Amino acid sequence: MNKLNPLIVTSTVLANGLLFSSMSQAATVEFWTAQTQTDRLQTIELLADTFEALNDNVTVKVVAVDENEMATQMAAAVAAGTTPELIEVNSELIMAFGEEGVVDTSSHQAVVKDIGQTRFHTGALNSLKSPSGEYYGLPYHGWIQGIWYRKDWFAEKGLAAPNTWENIAKAAEVLTDKANNQYGILVGTKQDSYTEQVFTQLALSNNASEFDEQGNLVFNSPATLETIEYYNELAQYNPPGPQNWRARDYYLQGKMAMFFYSTYIMDDLSLAEVAKSSLTSENFKELSGGTFDPNLVKNTGFEPIITNKSAASYGTVSGLVALKNQNAEDQKATQDFIKFMYDPASYIIFLHMAPGGMNPMLKGIAEDPSYRTDPTGVFNLYGADQMKQIVSGFDTIRSFSVVDGKTYPASGEIFAKSVIPRMIYDVTIEGKDPQEALDEAEAEMKAIIAK
Amino acid sequence: MSSVLIKNEARLGLKLVAPAVGIIGLLVIYPILFNVYLSFFDVQLNGTKIFVGFDNYSELLGNPRYYNSIGISVVYLLGTVTGTTVLGLAAAILMNQEFHFRNLARGLILLPYFAPVISVVFGWQFIFDPVNGIYNHVMVDVLHLSDTRENMIGDPDSALFVVILFDIWKHFPIAYLLLLAKLQSVPKDLYEAAAIDGQNAWGRFWHVTLPELKFVIATVVLLRIIWNLNRFEDVFLLAPNVETLPIFTYYQAFSGVVDQGGAAAISVIQLLVLVGLIWLYVRKVLKW
Repeated sequence: MNKLNPLIVTSTVLANGLLFSSMSQAATVEFWTAQTQTDRLQTIELLADTFEALNDNVTVKVVAVDENEMATQMAAAVAAGTTPELIEVNSELIMAFGEEGVVDTSSHQAVVKDIGQTRFHTGALNSLKSPSGEYYGLPYHGWIQGIWYRKDWFAEKGLAAPNTWENIAKAAEVLTDKANNQYGILVGTKQDSYTEQVFTQLALSNNASEFDEQGNLVFNSPATLETIEYYNELAQYNPPGPQNWRARDYYLQGKMAMFFYSTYIMDDLSLAEVAKSSLTSENFKELSGGTFDPNLVKNTGFEPIITNKSAASYGTVSGLVALKNQNAEDQKATQDFIKFMYDPASYIIFLHMAPGGMNPMLKGIAEDPSYRTDPTGVFNLYGADQMKQIVSGFDTIRSFSVVDGKTYPASGEIFAKSVIPRMIYDVTIEGKDPQEALDEAEAEMKAIIAK
Repeated sequence: MSSVLIKNEARLGLKLVAPAVGIIGLLVIYPILFNVYLSFFDVQLNGTKIFVGFDNYSELLGNPRYYNSIGISVVYLLGTVTGTTVLGLAAAILMNQEFHFRNLARGLILLPYFAPVISVVFGWQFIFDPVNGIYNHVMVDVLHLSDTRENMIGDPDSALFVVILFDIWKHFPIAYLLLLAKLQSVPKDLYEAAAIDGQNAWGRFWHVTLPELKFVIATVVLLRIIWNLNRFEDVFLLAPNVETLPIFTYYQAFSGVVDQGGAAAISVIQLLVLVGLIWLYVRKVLKW
């Protein structure tokens, strides 16, 4: 027996050591972010490292997942039992995940209670509420979409600013010169989310919607049909073939007059350095290079509100979503990490990754002097007034999934299934009859709702 | 041999194949059966399954897009399989001739096959970019063959054609490789005998080369059918609007929140089609 003793002692020490080390690494927060660009990932890694330094027994694992892949990756992870603790995605997907029952609403409740409900922009927080009043996610940052256009070209041709259907259509026609490789406008015609974003703003400005206040599907309406027809008219002035947001580079090259885009474009437009990186980096997969025009900012105008039957601004909120987790330690660590991410110091570092593109969802951040002095000087260039105007838009942003303060999570599923982008693709590229495409889209929506 | 010996040998044999049977069972049979099982359910992300009977199937078979994608898949298969086989055969015959730098040429021909899909796809997209691409530049600005710039890859009328062309260009080297290997083992005296019998080059090809290559060609065709019926990445990366069956499956089941039951139903049908096709081809066409 004596001979065995050293062995027992050694193994006991080893086992204790393992136990101890696993206790000291007790909690893991796997954080999936939709920010896939290298520089943004580095910033998020930095935040994660800081959090780890402040909490020695927590590990934060940052994973970059492309927004278009998020739903598929989540499904695979849930099926495999490797669900991340925390994700950062757009509100449509948040609502869809919420309805699938994988979201940890209790964590959200705890964080809101801790931070204070009144500190959030009310509209943004409410847009992520479930029909029964739980939070499917916490709003973290958001952008506003509008039309960016060449003011100098508009002035030359005596065109009015593109803020009504009539003005937009006229300018698109006048400024298209296909023989000289110049295009009037960019609207999305590929089967992806950019197409839906452009369509939604136009549809809302025509009082078309997916659901009414009673929650009935009212998508197949004359207003929607009119929007599709108008969209098809604009698509004639697009660069040839199916296009998505990547074609914004044609604008940077001086080959396009107008394009729908979010405030994310601000830094690309304003900074020669940023624009150069956009023209050569991973953002620029489909196009060959062009030279940067230093006067582009001066010559660019922005119209966030489009009017036809009513005025519509459109934007989207991205949020942090804690997912259901069996491990109480992980759950606690996730809540702590979310609170850390809302702490002004770390929050501003995050928002500064895309000045103008990522706008704060907590009141008071926009007025914070350290927020207004972003490292690249974008906010200075555009001026305080325009910045204030952009952030104020979050009180009134509209989308298909919120009608009169009520949310319709089915709208998120419809978004996730790309029903509208396919409808638009069919009409603009395949030449399908608008009413026929609309009928098909409605049938698909009904099938999704019925599930 | 005594019956004991035979029994022992059989037992040993069973033991020897057991690991292989186990692995195949775990990695092939089990997933197929589970897939069939799933196809009768509506599967939620959190794992809840609701039995829906044949709903997934009837939904699929009632979808006009499904039949459209079958049509596109058939054209894609015909185009790519014929294209790669013919081009591969032509290249193999050419490379079987004696000429200077033959080894270098043989190596170079394999390049498209070795290049990573994603990089050559972007290469093609640069070439055919409607605004900045070299193709439109040459067609419109240099040669003045056309007044309008075309998006060859995006336009649904030409996209299928471009995708087929891309696949032929990318995958003919594998056909070439297999055919050349066989071609090198065809005895020279067969050609000499055919020449003595008065056969010209065409006759020698028809009566000697083809019969000798028959089984390799058949193998190439079979492999290409199997690969291309399931081919996803080339088509999706280059022109996601060409809805072949795998692309249709992706949009139907994997875009947005995954519809696992629906996806399972599609893959069950696709498996049956593939098995049927291969059976038909092997038994009736090749008469193996």
